[in-house]
Amino acid sequence: MASIQLRDVCLDYPLYGAYDFSLKRRLLGRLFRQPGEMRTIRAVDSITIDAKPGARIGLAGPNGSGKSTLLRLIAGVFPATSGELEISGNIVPLLGLGAGANLDFTAADNISLLLRISGRKPTQAMLDDIWAFTELEERMQRLPLRMFSSGMLMRVLFATATAFPADILLLDEWLSVVDENFSAKAEQRLQKMVETAAIVIIASHDHGLLRRTCNTIINLDHGRIASTVSLDAPSLHPLELREKRA
Amino acid sequence: MTMVNELARRPSVLHIFKVYYPDLFGGTLSVIRDICVGLKDSFAAAVLVCSQSGGERRIVVNDVAVERVHSFGDVLSLPAAPTYPWRLWRRIAEHDLLALHAPFPLADLVFAFGFGRRRPLVVHWHADIVSHAALRWFVEPMMRRTLRRAAAIIVSDPVLVENTPLLREFADKCHAVPFGVDVAKYDRPVLRPADVNSRGRLVLACGRLVPYKGFDVLIRAAHSRNFEVWIVGEGRERDQLEQLIRDYGLQDRVRLLGSVPESERVKLMRIADVFVMPSVTNAETFGLVQLEAMAAGRPVINTALDTGVPYVARNGIEAITVPAGDPNALAEAIETLIDDPERRQRMGQAGRHRAMTKYSTTAFKERVETVYRMVVAEEAIAAKDAGSPAPASRPHTAGGLVSAIQIAAALAWSDMRHRYVRSLLGPFWMSIQMAIMVAVLGSVIGHFSNASAVARLPMLAASLTAWTFLNSVVLDATTALQNSASLIKDRALPPVIFLLQCTFRQALFALHNAVVPLILWLALTPRDISGALVALPGLVLFIVCTLALSLVLGALATRYRDIKPIIESSLTLAFLSSPIIWTPEMIDRGSRVMRFNPLTHLFAIWRDPLATGHVPMGSVAYVLTCLAALAVASVVTVAHLRKAAFWI
Repeated sequence: MASIQLRDVCLDYPLYGAYDFSLKRRLLGRLFRQPGEMRTIRAVDSITIDAKPGARIGLAGPNGSGKSTLLRLIAGVFPATSGELEISGNIVPLLGLGAGANLDFTAADNISLLLRISGRKPTQAMLDDIWAFTELEERMQRLPLRMFSSGMLMRVLFATATAFPADILLLDEWLSVVDENFSAKAEQRLQKMVETAAIVIIASHDHGLLRRTCNTIINLDHGRIASTVSLDAPSLHPLELREKRA
Repeated sequence: MTMVNELARRPSVLHIFKVYYPDLFGGTLSVIRDICVGLKDSFAAAVLVCSQSGGERRIVVNDVAVERVHSFGDVLSLPAAPTYPWRLWRRIAEHDLLALHAPFPLADLVFAFGFGRRRPLVVHWHADIVSHAALRWFVEPMMRRTLRRAAAIIVSDPVLVENTPLLREFADKCHAVPFGVDVAKYDRPVLRPADVNSRGRLVLACGRLVPYKGFDVLIRAAHSRNFEVWIVGEGRERDQLEQLIRDYGLQDRVRLLGSVPESERVKLMRIADVFVMPSVTNAETFGLVQLEAMAAGRPVINTALDTGVPYVARNGIEAITVPAGDPNALAEAIETLIDDPERRQRMGQAGRHRAMTKYSTTAFKERVETVYRMVVAEEAIAAKDAGSPAPASRPHTAGGLVSAIQIAAALAWSDMRHRYVRSLLGPFWMSIQMAIMVAVLGSVIGHFSNASAVARLPMLAASLTAWTFLNSVVLDATTALQNSASLIKDRALPPVIFLLQCTFRQALFALHNAVVPLILWLALTPRDISGALVALPGLVLFIVCTLALSLVLGALATRYRDIKPIIESSLTLAFLSSPIIWTPEMIDRGSRVMRFNPLTHLFAIWRDPLATGHVPMGSVAYVLTCLAALAVASVVTVAHLRKAAFWI
């Protein structure tokens, strides 16, 4: 049973790049450091979320409000500084499509490798399925990815990333595929993935999208929950989807 | 294509239990047999069990293929069959559905370790573990894992789910399927009105002679009464029971009939006046045998257990239920029935009616089949959703470290395969490069010493290969995390994967380079294999040290950006100051720097045995000390690697 429970979770993001942490500064700095120096940023500030199966949570908020950091915290990329975090279920973080792709490898090799990274043993059947979804020519499987146009590349990466259902789906912005013909299909597949996942968390600036797909919207501001809005069951009219694309 | 095949053949079920016909007879076995036979039109059944008899390994019982794994006897009621888990693991892949007849901890062991994850599992819960309660702490977590992984659990009565804490946790997947009995088998050839012998005093009991069946209670109950007791069945308690009968002087009234054929048993059921099931523990979950007695129209006396037993034959209607383990109450109940022929008849008829209406074999068969079909269908749907055939659809979620190593190995393998992409010379350009390096350095070094340059070439090549490995692993590790930033931050992969990847990848490359020393060694030395064998542990130690070093330095170089140039220059310095292309013999042996240099010893522990056949124990001790320190540092590093996402 998938579930996410965060209780008063905080995350202090250390600012390594901006600060001189060298040995010299450490030894000498104690003598004449100004008080109140900021070495960390509180990116997530006592957030409590309790998501049960069926939860569709939208994270809204301005840039830098901690949406992506919160998603990464749930995905296990960042350890929480304080608070309790309990997550069960297999998490599929779709935070960026390009992760792990190597442009020098052939498309087929890239797909196999990406599947292995997500913990699956690639089979020819999986490859064929994914390739069928991309609607690209069979022989292009053998070409290195650098030969692909950006649209084709997106097709391959999108098809691979969304090939398997997830218990917990984390989306940083709705994955958009810019190809006119393909995007309807991609939209449909992503929608289906959202429907079949037990818990979905989407971070987005697009309020319309969040309202259509989610049943709870959490507004973040400076890492805190500014407000939580509960919506009725999301309505998914194809008309609305088309509007969104236009 | 796969779909058509699926339709054309019956899905196959593997029944997993500890024992099967012809080694033993009993309620659980007859249930398994009934499932195998009853579902043969829709499922192809196979059975995997243990056997002490040492007969044929593969036999056919009632058209069902049975594989019997050799067992050395029972230890704590469990067959001691060391190869059973192995055979089970091998067989899992051949079947579409696994049916585990619990309790059977030997099979739980296989499932607890996560094997057979790719096949749907149905657990037939026949009983809880009641004997050997002291081992519960060990067995229960395994059983829980099995149940968690099961797609469905079949129990014989809903009350079992309420009364078994372990089952309550998984109540949502429990299906109550009461066993069935073929009433027709117990039809009498002629039904006479004087069906019930008014003088009847024959008490029958059936079951394996094991403690939980409570036959000792029945024997005690017979003491100083005047009914006769016949007990059908065989088992390890026989000697004790015989002794008990002798002690009470009941040889004339109490008989142990041993095992009898099924047809004989049916006859005995028909002539008995009272049927008793004196079971004393909750290991008796249902009591198939009392259902058979009901089918034969016999009044039943059973015990008040927390299981389905008193629900199958209900107190005052089909049975008299007495407290378990109470000989007096049991004797009273038997005498009540013996003294009241009319009540016997009434109860017998009620029992037969209940067996016919509530516990039909058809209903049992259909409901088991429904559960099996549902589980197989769910699996097929899951597989279809995943867009792949069933076996590979689930991600392997085995322990974090195992999957980290698997992913690291996959990445390293891919790195190696792509190393030759767009290369001019193909796979072994690295080896050629190594060969050239050895040739050039060898000819130069040859002038330093008076020894033959050619004889030293194999060792030089081996040292260079090893150094290249260590050098590249450490250098790769310093940049590995930054290069994989997107995988760490966007795919949430554990950072340690990418440090392991460096060692794995360079190990694969080193294998290519190793061709050069190998050829030189074969061509130029007397090919003494024993030296090479003694060198192996040292080589393993070398690799482990390299791995630990890469973990520590890789993490440090990512956290503190000035470490990387320091490491680079140190490596060059180390290469020149350590006996890699030269040997300690060439220079003053007393050099203090050389003696304190860990690299000297790291190379000595495998080079010395290779050259001389002797293991330098001093160097081994030195290396082990360094490794201990490195291991501590590695553990600390891996703990801190959780924060690696902040550093990149």
